[in-house]
Amino acid sequence: MLAGLGLLVAWSWRGVGFDPGALFDADGRAQILTYIRKLFPPDLAPGLLLKVVYWSLETFAMSFMGTMLSIGIALALVFAASRNLAFSGVLFEVEEAGRPVRVARIVLHVAARALLNLLRTVPHIVWALIFVFAVGLGPFAGVLALGLHTGGVLGKLFAEVVEDIDTQPLEALQATGANRRQIFCYGVLPQALPQLVAYGLYRWEVNIREAIILGYVGAGGLGQQIQIAISLFLEHQLLTLLLAIYLMVTLVDYLSAFLRRRLL
Amino acid sequence: MYQLEKVTKQFDRGLMAVDRVDLGIRRGERLAVIGPSGAGKTTLFRLLNLTIPLTSGRLSIAGQEVGALRGARLREHRRRIGTVYQQQNLVPRLRVIHNVLAGRLGAWSFLRAVRSLIRPTREDIRAAHAALSRVGIPEKLWARTDELSGGQQQRVAISRVLLQNPEVILADEPVSSVDPSLAHAIVRLLMDLSGTSGKTLIMNLHSVDLALAYFPRVVGFRDGRVAFDRSPAQVSDDLLVSLYAGSSPSHPTEESPDAEAAVRGCAPVFRPQ
Amino acid sequence: MRKPPSAAAPPFSDRSKARTSTLLGLAFLAAFLGSWHLAQIHPLALFEAEGRRNMARFLAGMFPPAHSPEFLLGLWRPLLETIQISVMGTVLAIVIGFPLGLLGTASLSHRGTLHDAELAGAPARRLGRMLPYVLARGVLSVFRCIPEFVWAFMFVRAVGLGPVPGVLAIGISYGGMLGKVYSEILENQGQQASEALQATGASRWKVLLYGMLPQALPQLVAYTLYRWECAVRASAVLGFVGAGGLGQQIELSMRMFNFNEVITLVLVLLLLVAAMDAFSARLRAALV
Repeated sequence: MLAGLGLLVAWSWRGVGFDPGALFDADGRAQILTYIRKLFPPDLAPGLLLKVVYWSLETFAMSFMGTMLSIGIALALVFAASRNLAFSGVLFEVEEAGRPVRVARIVLHVAARALLNLLRTVPHIVWALIFVFAVGLGPFAGVLALGLHTGGVLGKLFAEVVEDIDTQPLEALQATGANRRQIFCYGVLPQALPQLVAYGLYRWEVNIREAIILGYVGAGGLGQQIQIAISLFLEHQLLTLLLAIYLMVTLVDYLSAFLRRRLL
Repeated sequence: MYQLEKVTKQFDRGLMAVDRVDLGIRRGERLAVIGPSGAGKTTLFRLLNLTIPLTSGRLSIAGQEVGALRGARLREHRRRIGTVYQQQNLVPRLRVIHNVLAGRLGAWSFLRAVRSLIRPTREDIRAAHAALSRVGIPEKLWARTDELSGGQQQRVAISRVLLQNPEVILADEPVSSVDPSLAHAIVRLLMDLSGTSGKTLIMNLHSVDLALAYFPRVVGFRDGRVAFDRSPAQVSDDLLVSLYAGSSPSHPTEESPDAEAAVRGCAPVFRPQ
Repeated sequence: MRKPPSAAAPPFSDRSKARTSTLLGLAFLAAFLGSWHLAQIHPLALFEAEGRRNMARFLAGMFPPAHSPEFLLGLWRPLLETIQISVMGTVLAIVIGFPLGLLGTASLSHRGTLHDAELAGAPARRLGRMLPYVLARGVLSVFRCIPEFVWAFMFVRAVGLGPVPGVLAIGISYGGMLGKVYSEILENQGQQASEALQATGASRWKVLLYGMLPQALPQLVAYTLYRWECAVRASAVLGFVGAGGLGQQIELSMRMFNFNEVITLVLVLLLLVAAMDAFSARLRAALV
C-alpha cells in the first residue's frame, strides 16, 4: 500500500517537472524575489483604498447573498429530498392518498435528489460563466452561480440531517391531531436547526473564497479587480488587493465562528 | 366510547401484533392494560390513537367507525384523543411552553401555529402556565425542554394533554422510565384529571402493582389477544402467572421473572431504554 | 379570561434571549438589504430577451459534446497532469503544513500539562515559547486565507505557465489548511497519555512521537485524504489561470467559444472527481 503511494508520488514528481533545485537556485530565487519586490509597497492612495473597500463589500455581498440563495434552494427542496418528509415514515403511515399519488411522491423525491446532484456537480465556475452570459458581468452572476452550486451541496446535507431526526416526538405531535406542516414546524425544524445552521455558516466560509475566484471570470468584486491588476501589470495595486482579500476572508471566518457559538 | 370488533393488526413480516381483539370501553371509564413485553400493548394503543391503520376488523369511536377516515376528519378524531408516551413525547430543543401549546395544534390553523412559535399570545401563555401549575412545575414555562428531568418531562407531556382537552387519555407506559417514587404521583395525577372531567382513561402499565391499586378495571393482554378483563378483586395470582408465564422467549417453559415479580407484588425489573 | 386571584401571574416573555435575538435580527436585516444592493441583484435580468438569447446560444453550442477520437485522446495528458498536480500539491502541503502545524499547537508549545512545571514562574521563557507559536499560526493563516487561485496566478507570473505554479499554489494554501487542522487535531488529544509519558522523563518531542501522533494518526490521515480529493478539484480550476491540467484546456476552449469541447471537458472532470472519491474511500478504509 505504502509502496504504491510512493510510486504515485514519484511519478507525479517527474510528470510535473517539479524541480526544487530550479526553483531555489540562483536564477529561480532571483525571479521570485524580483517579483515579490515588485509587489511592495502596497498602493495605499486614499482613492484606491476607497475603491478597494467598495470592492471588498461587493465580494462580501456576493458571498452573503449567494449563501442565502443556496439556503433558500436547499430548504425548498428538502421536503422532497428527504425520505421521511416525502413519502415514507411515521408521517405517512395512515396513508390517505391512493397509489398514483404515492408513486408521484416517490418520483418527486427521486427528481429532487437528481436535481440537487446536478446543481452540485457542475463546478461553480461553469455556472458563473453561464450566468455571465445570461445576466452580464457583475456580482449578480456570481450570486446566482454560488446560489445554485451551493444549493445543491446544502440540499443534500440538509436532507441527510432531516432524515436523521428522532421520529418519536413527531408521532406524539401527530397524535394530537396536527397536520404535516405543523409537525414540520414543531417537530422537524427544531431538531434539525442546529445542524442546518452549522452547515450554512460553514458554506459561507467556503463561499467567500469562491466569490473571489468567480470574480476572476467576470463576477465582479475583488476577484475581477485582481484579474485587471494582473493584466495591466499594476503590482502595487495587486498587493493592496491581496491584503484586502486576506482581511475579508479572515473576517468572514471569524463571523462564522462567532455566530456558530452564539446560535448553537 | 370505544368499540373494537375483531380488530387485527398485522405487520409486514407476518407478525401478528394484535389478533382479532374484541373490546368495549365506555365513556368515562378508567382501565389499565397489563401484560408481558412484546404482547402487543403498544400496537393496540397506536391503533386506539389512530396513528397506524388496522389490517382488518372494525374500530369505532363514539359510535363512528374510524377505520376508513382520512385527512382532516382523521385529525379531528385524533384531536379528541390525548396520548402520553413512555418517553420522548416532546421535542427536545423547543421551550416547554411550545411543547405544552402543541396540544392545541389540532385546533389551530397552520399560520396560527407558526405565529405561536414566534410569539405566543397572552391567553395561551396563561393557559400553559395554568396547566404546568396543575402538574406542579409552573416555573419551567420558558425553560428548554431538554434541560428537564425525565419525571418533569412526563409532567410537561401531561400538561400538553391538558391543553389539548381531549375526551380520551391514552397513557402508554407513562411511568416506566420514571423514578418509582414519582410513578405513583403521576398515576394519581392522571386518575385525578380523568375523574374530575369525566374523560376516559386507558393506561398501559408495566407494573401490576399500580394497575391493581388504582384502576377499577384491568385487562390482561398477551400475544395480541385479551387474556382477561376483570376488576382487580377478581384478578387472582393464578391469572397473573398465566399471563406472564413463559413470556421469556429463551425459556418457554420456565416461569419468567415477570411472573414471579407479579405474583409477589413487587414492580418488575426496570425496563432498559 | 380572569385568573383566580391566588394564582401567580406567569412571566409573559423570555427576557434573556429577547434582546440578543432582536439585535441579531436587525444586523441580519441590514446585511441582507445592503448585500442585495451591493451585489446588484436584479432578478428581472434573468428574463430579458438578450440574456435569454445568449443563454440559448451557449446551451445550443454545448450539444452535441465534442467526442471526436483525436480530441478525446488529446485529453489524456491534461488529465494525467491534473492528477499529478494534485498529488505533488498535497505532498508539498504536508511538507509545509506538518511542521508549521506542530509549532502552532498550543499544547505542544506553551500551554497545558506538558509545560506547567517547566514554565512556571519563568515568564520570559514562556514568551520565548509563545513566539514561534504565534508566528507559525500567523503564517498558516496567511497561507490559507488567500485562495489558492490567487496564489496560482501569482506564481504563474513569477515562474511561468505550466503545472509548477499549480503545485506551489496548492502546496502553500493547502499547507495552511492542513497545518491548522493538524494542530486542532493534536490539541484535541487527551492530556492523560501525554502526562503519563512525561512522567517517565520523556522530552516534548518524544511525547509527541510516542503519545500524540499514534493516537491522532487516523484523523490526520483522514483529513489529508479529504484534502487530496479537494486538491483534484482545485487543480482543475487552477488550470484556468494557466497552471496546467484540465482547467487550462477548459480555459482554452472557452476562449475559442468551443462550448461542445467545454462540456466534454467538464464531463471528464466529473468522472475524474467521482473516481477520486471512490479511490480515496478505499484508501481510507485500508489505512485506518
